[in-house]
Amino acid sequence: MVGLSHQSAPVAVRERLAFTAPGALERALVHLKDALGERECVLLSTCNRTELYVAQGNNVAAGDDPDASTLAPLLARAHGQSDLPELAGYFTERRGHRAVEHLFRVAAGLESMIVGESDIVRQVKTSYAAASDARAAGPLLSRLFHEALRVAKRARTEYDLGKGAFSVGHAAVDMAQSIFGRLGGRVVLLLGAGKMSETTARHLSAAGASSVLVANRTFDKAARLAETLNGRAIRYEAFAPHLAQADIVIASTAAPHAVVTRDLVEGALKGRRHRPLFLIDIAVPRDIEASVGELDDVFLYNIDDLRAVVDNDEAERRIRATRADVLVHDEALSFAQTLRARETALPLVSSLRARMEATKTAEMARLAQRLPHLSPADLRVIEASFGAVIAKIAHEPTVKIKEYALADNGDEKIATARELFGLSSSGGAAAAEEKTP
Amino acid sequence: MIVSAGALVLGATLALYLVGAASLGANLFLRRPALLVTGRVVAVFGALFHFAAIGLRCAEVARAPFVTPAESLSLLAWMVVLAYLVVEALWRLSAAGPFALGLAFLLVGGAGLAPHQVGGVADPALLSESAVSLHIIATVASLAAFALAFCCAGLYLIVHHILKSKHGLAWMKRLPPLVTVEQAGFALVALGFPLLTLGILSGIVRALSGGLGAGWPLDTKTLLAVAVWGIYGLYLLARLRAWPPVRTAYVLLVGLALCLLLFFVPSAAHRFVS
Repeated sequence: MVGLSHQSAPVAVRERLAFTAPGALERALVHLKDALGERECVLLSTCNRTELYVAQGNNVAAGDDPDASTLAPLLARAHGQSDLPELAGYFTERRGHRAVEHLFRVAAGLESMIVGESDIVRQVKTSYAAASDARAAGPLLSRLFHEALRVAKRARTEYDLGKGAFSVGHAAVDMAQSIFGRLGGRVVLLLGAGKMSETTARHLSAAGASSVLVANRTFDKAARLAETLNGRAIRYEAFAPHLAQADIVIASTAAPHAVVTRDLVEGALKGRRHRPLFLIDIAVPRDIEASVGELDDVFLYNIDDLRAVVDNDEAERRIRATRADVLVHDEALSFAQTLRARETALPLVSSLRARMEATKTAEMARLAQRLPHLSPADLRVIEASFGAVIAKIAHEPTVKIKEYALADNGDEKIATARELFGLSSSGGAAAAEEKTP
Repeated sequence: MIVSAGALVLGATLALYLVGAASLGANLFLRRPALLVTGRVVAVFGALFHFAAIGLRCAEVARAPFVTPAESLSLLAWMVVLAYLVVEALWRLSAAGPFALGLAFLLVGGAGLAPHQVGGVADPALLSESAVSLHIIATVASLAAFALAFCCAGLYLIVHHILKSKHGLAWMKRLPPLVTVEQAGFALVALGFPLLTLGILSGIVRALSGGLGAGWPLDTKTLLAVAVWGIYGLYLLARLRAWPPVRTAYVLLVGLALCLLLFFVPSAAHRFVS
């Protein structure tokens, strides 16, 4: 893996190699596939990272591994730029199990700027799907990415990495749910049509809040925002009566003084029969008098309160992430070992089976010569019988070889097995065929 | 010593309640889905085992299983767990699990220590009367509902305090929403109150049919039952008249204290022996 991320490069560098524009990833994959030949590749590009995962194909000569010095310029060219040698220092390179572990960590959100954020899972899936569609990802990277997504799901589920608030908007939803439970049927009143109140209202709507009222000094702006939120604009001067029907109020006006006073809220509470009122004040200076929070049934949270919720959740997630580290590390190690075991065990198993097949073919030929009266049907029965005997004999050594390959001293054991079966490390089957009379 | 099948199953029930309470209690702190699922499953099995134990006891003594103090404690425990399972199914109030299963554990454990015999011979004719059975089952069921309502009131006060003070907000991920616990508490009282009314009315009908003497209206249990009926009636009235929820939660806390008195107080008019 060669790439750069928010940990190694500032945004000014990352944006120069981002493949996030529509169609950019697909175009880059075509370029990379041509340049990498038989090798497999997946390009993961988000606003926080651009990483190229490359695996040697079966037909690539061993030792012909590309490294950062060759892949980084390749990435730049795939982006339609020159080699960008000035960026070389920002790239990191990981090989073997380190690359595996890194991808697992990325997919689980452990390498994200906001630990545990869930968008990365979708981005990893999209990147792999694009590589798969472009036929750039082969069997090895396919296994790796599927495994990464499985491990990510496990880590996120077992350690609740996606739980908790990631932003002030999330925190507002969490608090609203702590008060009301389900938000279906709840009325949200927005005072001010700023970006932050809009984002918070969107989070609340997504969580089920069914009705949004928007009040802004500029009515047109309120109407526009209300339209995007499927809500209703109301006159700013006439918001007070709506306090009585609202369950959640988000205040973010630019007023230099409090617009929601204690008297106003006390008046609104009279007709509410102790229905809770959740007031979110994200304006600076504050829009809601602090003493409003002392009233019964009123829960007043300002921007600092909500940030404290976010910070607390972030701290909790980081603790859980350190626990998830262990799981991801173990899974990566296990995957790398399995991969290595396949690499070392499979050639030996196929050599062994090829030798047995060759012996069977030779014996069948000899049998046909010695017993010419046997019909083709008889020979087929005998051949099938030989095949069954071979399968039974080969079963136990096959299982053992796979076990040996996973052992700590796997290489040594595999070498012993080769010696035992008289198979050289290359062309064992061919050698067997040559020796067979 | 010969241990009956009913006692063995009750022993298993006791263990299940302990495991369930521990799992759900640990889930409150650790928030592990496995603990939550374990607690819920164990609670269901505990209730089933308990039902079997009550049935076996019934077959063993060939009469209704609520004559001795041990039997009535066991019946109450079973109904508390049933009430919890209803609350869990309707409102996902797993935070009430440690209380409900812990209480059931204590009650079943107490049943093991409580007298298994009464001073006298159980009166089969009395126990076969439907008014008596209805009186006991309805009253015990109402007490179970009130116990869970107490738990909801306690949770309401805790959640309310956290949300108001903004201290310990991390706990809100472990605790149920404020409105949910308030609604669950109300629903439990709305269920328990008619049951208690039914229990009291069936008791009056039975008492009026004779055999209890003239002093039954002043019997301690009778008087306490009226007091309990009054306090939960007050709660419902307060709820309908929109008292502040914090105040109504305190009414539920006081209510359970009276319920405990009602259940445990000795009574001459409530001995089902001849």
